[in-house]
Amino acid sequence: MKKVSIDRRQFIKVSSLSGTALTIGFLFPGLKSLAALSQKECEFFQPNAFLRIDKSGQVTVYFARQEMGQGVNTSLPMIIAEELEADFKNIKVEIVEFGTFPLGEVSFGNPHDTGGSQSIPQSWDLLRKAGATAKAMLIAAAAKEWGIKPEQCAADKGTVVNTINMATMSYGSLVCKAAEMPVPAQVTLKNIKDFKLIGKEQRKTNLKDTLTGKVKFGMDLVVPGMVFAVVERCPVMGGKLISVDDAAAKKVPGVIKVVSYEGTGAPMNVYAGVAVIATNTWAAMKGRKLLKIKWDEGLSNKDNSVDLYKRFAAKAKGKPERQVFKRADAPSAVIPATNSISATYYGPLLAHAAIEPVNCIAEMKENKCELWGGFQLPDWSVNTIATDCNIPKKDIKVNLSLIGGGFGRRLRCDFAIEAIKIARQIDKPVKLIWERADDLKFEGYRPANYHRLKAGWDVKGQLTSWDHHVLSTPIATVTWPDEKKVSENGGGADADFWYDVPNINTGYTKEKFNINRSWLRGVENAANVFAIEGFIDEIAKKLKKDPLAFRLSLLEGAAGPDNRDWNKYRQRVAGTLKLAADKIGWASARKKNHFIGLACHAYPSTSAYASHAVEIELLGPKKFKITKVVAAIDCGLVINPDGLKNQMEGGVAFGLGQVLKDEITVKNSRVEQDNFRTYPLLRFNEMPPVEVYWVENTETPGGVGEVGVSTVGPALCNALAAAGYRPRIQPIKNEGYVWE
Amino acid sequence: MTFELNINNKTYKIDTEPDMPLLWALRDLLDLTGTKYGCGIAACGACTVLINKRAARSCMVNVQSCVGQSITTIEGLSPDGTHPVQKAWEAMNVPQCGYCQAGQMMTLAGLLEQTKKPSDAQINSVMSQVICRCGTYHRIRKAVNMAIEEINK
Repeated sequence: MKKVSIDRRQFIKVSSLSGTALTIGFLFPGLKSLAALSQKECEFFQPNAFLRIDKSGQVTVYFARQEMGQGVNTSLPMIIAEELEADFKNIKVEIVEFGTFPLGEVSFGNPHDTGGSQSIPQSWDLLRKAGATAKAMLIAAAAKEWGIKPEQCAADKGTVVNTINMATMSYGSLVCKAAEMPVPAQVTLKNIKDFKLIGKEQRKTNLKDTLTGKVKFGMDLVVPGMVFAVVERCPVMGGKLISVDDAAAKKVPGVIKVVSYEGTGAPMNVYAGVAVIATNTWAAMKGRKLLKIKWDEGLSNKDNSVDLYKRFAAKAKGKPERQVFKRADAPSAVIPATNSISATYYGPLLAHAAIEPVNCIAEMKENKCELWGGFQLPDWSVNTIATDCNIPKKDIKVNLSLIGGGFGRRLRCDFAIEAIKIARQIDKPVKLIWERADDLKFEGYRPANYHRLKAGWDVKGQLTSWDHHVLSTPIATVTWPDEKKVSENGGGADADFWYDVPNINTGYTKEKFNINRSWLRGVENAANVFAIEGFIDEIAKKLKKDPLAFRLSLLEGAAGPDNRDWNKYRQRVAGTLKLAADKIGWASARKKNHFIGLACHAYPSTSAYASHAVEIELLGPKKFKITKVVAAIDCGLVINPDGLKNQMEGGVAFGLGQVLKDEITVKNSRVEQDNFRTYPLLRFNEMPPVEVYWVENTETPGGVGEVGVSTVGPALCNALAAAGYRPRIQPIKNEGYVWE
Repeated sequence: MTFELNINNKTYKIDTEPDMPLLWALRDLLDLTGTKYGCGIAACGACTVLINKRAARSCMVNVQSCVGQSITTIEGLSPDGTHPVQKAWEAMNVPQCGYCQAGQMMTLAGLLEQTKKPSDAQINSVMSQVICRCGTYHRIRKAVNMAIEEINK
């Protein structure tokens, strides 16, 4: 048997092809060293971390990003398979083991990081090159065998074809020889028009296992000898344990031990807790109920949502703490505003509320730690754990699992720190499970946000000025309290304003509030867009202009000088708006009591643009039924159309839940919601018919996880406004709206 | 105490307190993890199984009361994933994260055991008991209709 012959020099050549943070990390899953590799017999060809071809011809594709419903376990392998010319139906898909790449030093942008809709944009070039490189080496091996030039070969469905005599060699038969080929410094990527797989609907690669209950989420993992823990936490962030009486808890059959631990500060702000460890989850839960605990809640235990809203409202009229964006192309002296309006909008704290409550298995051996579970940012997690738990980074091993709904919840690793603190106190692996109430009451919430907007126009009805003052409880002040620049909910025009108005002034004011915060799908974009797209609609109405035509006039006019590619942004936003309007029948006569609302936006950080059109039937005062939703998106080249549709459909449900009824309220620095009755997510009977369309183009692919959320709420509110009601406060149930 | 449970036509012996919910017996004692924990108070439907062919929230039923009953979990809905409900879910490529989908499918399977031709009102009422945070309801509705069509062929 031949040995795989990749020497170190060659390995470095392979590495250098990525030219990104992955450079050194272009390694082999499961193989820790090249020495280990060279001892392996020639059973497979694995030129990089993302694919492997066995002698049998079996192609395995590895994906590094976390699968949590957004479909990266299908879309990312599609990119590789396309360039590799592998038969997608027969490939195996596995996750790249954490530790394959060197540990990242930054909090976001590492190979495994999964957030900000970045998986596709950050992987596109890299994975194409990974596939193309392997294909080139397979072709080179075949060409050498046949004594012809590589250019005289072609590849298709896992086979190299001799184009002179049409002889073929399977990839499997070439693995040993391909491994001996030099790694090409440059590879030619396929022309987009030659794509066979990208752009064609594919089912999720783990579909069958999902439907038969075989897939394992973090919650389902079993580590031999493990025990189970649930935690009673201090009700207030920053509080401390005074005493615990665990006598009754310890009497519950199955309870092994009761342990306590202190909380942490930023970035994770872990709550102080008392953990009940048991032989099964149920016993731990029963024991927990019997704990008698005294907490020192600290000094910040008086915050409540009602006061927060009042504080926002009082400060909103003042000058923002920080100016975020200013454009002054036409001083007001030149174009005096002859009229103006102002309005305020509000969005509450929100929970992620994935159906899989957070959980984590931790095992401590001496001061070495092994973790099993879902992490959206495993590198940041390891760095944070190392500091907070005082464990050397090299001694923290993370085993990544499938995630039962992320939405940003697992960007944080508070649950892992808790699991470690518990595992330190018992010589067994511990599976920590957050009960539903914990998951809703102790997490990091989407910040509450308040918006005061003001706009002016001239005698011709031309919009001349736009002022947007955003107030919120930022993520940064709890996560990075020392940071000077507070960026979350940074103010409309910073990133999320796309209309061509000559004078723009946006600013930001932060407010203290003792509840933990974090990023939720759609982040500040969704918060800002709700206000912007409602207010632009209000202006159109005031000016007696058609909301579609009015928006388009601000998107398709001549754009002023700018350091962004605004023209292209605006065209792409406009493209989705026209598509949504067209598909819902904006220009057609409405049925009796039917009203349509539109909203559009850009999601610049992920190169995606989207609009929604919502049709309602008004059933009575503030009473309605949503009869149809159209989602229109431009995310550049579409990898998996079915995945895109699923994300956009889900985005409608996510957006509707938020605008209709989702709300976290706080009293005495405690979250009041503790289950799905008090935090009622959108349900099956509330889901309207949805149609999804996209603008066909070949722009570099953007991410679609978040862009489908932001305009759902404002489009619904604009439909209600067309019917005579203008909601400005989310969730709109608080303003007396009811729906069927 | 020792209890004998009939799950997916197999007999399992478990040693536990009688008040343990079936959910935790399945998950922690028998490693039948297809049945999911979501809320523990029958508010999300993720833990739905069939007990004597009726949909039940396994977080609300204790082990003692399951003795002598016939329990079906997602692992036993069909030998190879070809129950009409699973086939419809596959055809519509329903799942996103997939965590709630066993509960969704078991809930529908339970309804279809009761009536082969449920009304829209029945479908809405029953399927609204299971939450999908990813928001796959649009596809679930299509799959529900497809499964009903299939079993009435």
